[in-house]
Amino acid sequence: MAGLWAHHGWWIRRLAMLPVHLVLFAVIVFFLVKLIPGDPVAVLSGGQTMTPEQYQAARAALGLSGSLPAQLGTFLGRTATLDLGNSVISGTGVLSEMLTRLPETVELAVLAMVVSLVLTLVLGFLVMLRPRALVSRTVASYSRAAGALPDFCLGVAGIFLFYSVLRWAPAPIGRYDPLLNAPTHTTGFPFLDALLSGDAVLMRSMLAHLWLPVGVLVVAYAPMLIKLFIRSLQQARDAQATTFRIASGASRSMVLLSITRRALPATVAMFGTIFGFMVGGAVVVEQLFAIPGMGEYAVQAVTRSDFVALRGFLLVVGFLSLLVFFFVDVVTMLLDPRRRSGAAVTGG
Amino acid sequence: MTVLLQIPPAPSAPAARRRLPPGVLSLALVPAALLVLVALVGPLVLPYSPVDVVDKPDLLPGAAHWFGTDASGMDVFSRTVAATRTNLLIGLATTVVATAVGVLIGLVVGMNEAHRGPLGLLARGTSRALDLLQALPAIVIGLVLIAFFGASVPSLILALSLILMPNQARLVRAEVLRVRGEAYLDAARMSGESELVLVLRHVLPNSAWPAWENTSLVFGSAIVLTAGLGFLGVGLPPPAPEWGSMIAIGAPDAASGRWWSALFPAIALALTVFAASAVGRRLFGDD
Repeated sequence: MAGLWAHHGWWIRRLAMLPVHLVLFAVIVFFLVKLIPGDPVAVLSGGQTMTPEQYQAARAALGLSGSLPAQLGTFLGRTATLDLGNSVISGTGVLSEMLTRLPETVELAVLAMVVSLVLTLVLGFLVMLRPRALVSRTVASYSRAAGALPDFCLGVAGIFLFYSVLRWAPAPIGRYDPLLNAPTHTTGFPFLDALLSGDAVLMRSMLAHLWLPVGVLVVAYAPMLIKLFIRSLQQARDAQATTFRIASGASRSMVLLSITRRALPATVAMFGTIFGFMVGGAVVVEQLFAIPGMGEYAVQAVTRSDFVALRGFLLVVGFLSLLVFFFVDVVTMLLDPRRRSGAAVTGG
Repeated sequence: MTVLLQIPPAPSAPAARRRLPPGVLSLALVPAALLVLVALVGPLVLPYSPVDVVDKPDLLPGAAHWFGTDASGMDVFSRTVAATRTNLLIGLATTVVATAVGVLIGLVVGMNEAHRGPLGLLARGTSRALDLLQALPAIVIGLVLIAFFGASVPSLILALSLILMPNQARLVRAEVLRVRGEAYLDAARMSGESELVLVLRHVLPNSAWPAWENTSLVFGSAIVLTAGLGFLGVGLPPPAPEWGSMIAIGAPDAASGRWWSALFPAIALALTVFAASAVGRRLFGDD
């Protein structure tokens, strides 16, 4: 039993922290919403006169009756039972709306993440192995300049160049040709659904609509990963461990493997942050390409000052981020045991 | 949001900073100085009103309108120049507030984290909360905060400071944890200095420099986030000149081939971020 704990304690401890983080985050969100000036019931009623009974009922429905600790308790209880409330304006359930919109955004972010990952690996090795090549120098200097051009500028430029001038991309409206039928709903992720339904025409239309927004995200955010990977590859290459490998007569591929093994953890540890950027970027890019995802919902909620919808939006995005950070931590600790908390204690 | 939270600057000791010849210094400051000049003088010498329709819509850049007119007939040049003041003001104020509050919180949390009792617990809780805030996409927090507090220049500064403060606080906190064990603090304590004087005279100067070196990054992030919120349509309400909302207005134009109304504010935006990072590189060494 003790041996089992010594071997698996590190990820169990990290897993146990996840609910603590979730609750702490929900508490932060609760107090953030409390800071909103004005009476939410007044916003809800839109200036109509209410009887005191109606007023009290509305407050109770919003979870605003009772003392502050009682309100916090109500909020945490409802959140734990996945009751995110109903939109103040449209009256539809926030959770059901999120469940249809979240896959759209996450799919965009995940696709961009996968492409960035492949690009990072390929370009990182290219720069390390052929530092004098023109491509390598271009990549290295671009990755250093990353960040000066934000995603929405790149998006507008992309639409101008590839839709308006070159006509390589279709009109930036939605995920697929509006004349086509939606894919049958199996997973909720539109592209995955199209893949599963085997509808070749729909899939081609989706690919045509997808490559530009995904490309914008990749160009905007991949350089940060590439910069970090190049730096850690170079550090790993210059480390004594590499010299030792070469001196002990290891083959070229074994030396490369060793370098990669030591360079990866630092890059993987950044994945959570980059994924956060991708989700944030997807929210912006969606707006530009008229994709009905989380971004559109949030912007609508902002313009209608729908605080219930915004609170739900914040909770869902926050929980998603925390979940991603958890997996990133576990993978990093798998790759590099020194990063496991308490490794020194249990290792002895 | 792109520049936000890049890898924290490499912990190089402040003494190791390069001293550059004055000529190189001034050259790197030229773009930034130009921008400040435009922000200060620009609005006084505008050829047209930046908030009114002044001519036919969608005019090509030419002698009458240097940057053309947008879809509603407002002069793009006047608006781009007028927006410089707004965007720089928000960026600078955010940098100051975020750094000041971040340094303060970093100091308090760092000095109290190891304490037993409620104070230490609160400090550790704050530390975790700062970590959690950083887990969220900045633009998402910005959207929600603006929704709650309304879109005006002060509320934008407040919201952006709240987003960018955690990074500064974390940098300072990590430094305080290192400085806290130094021998000169023990020496100061033994010579009878009070805890407050100790923190202000010895801990603050020795632990605030990573936040100070990070200010150019914070400024760049504030500029990009302001424009991002404006682009999403939740920033300053139109027709207030602001680069992000100008790019948003220009986006459908760009889709139909009229490139100018989005291009010029985008160039101004990129130039500002570039100027800030150039100043940062010159003042604080590379990275």
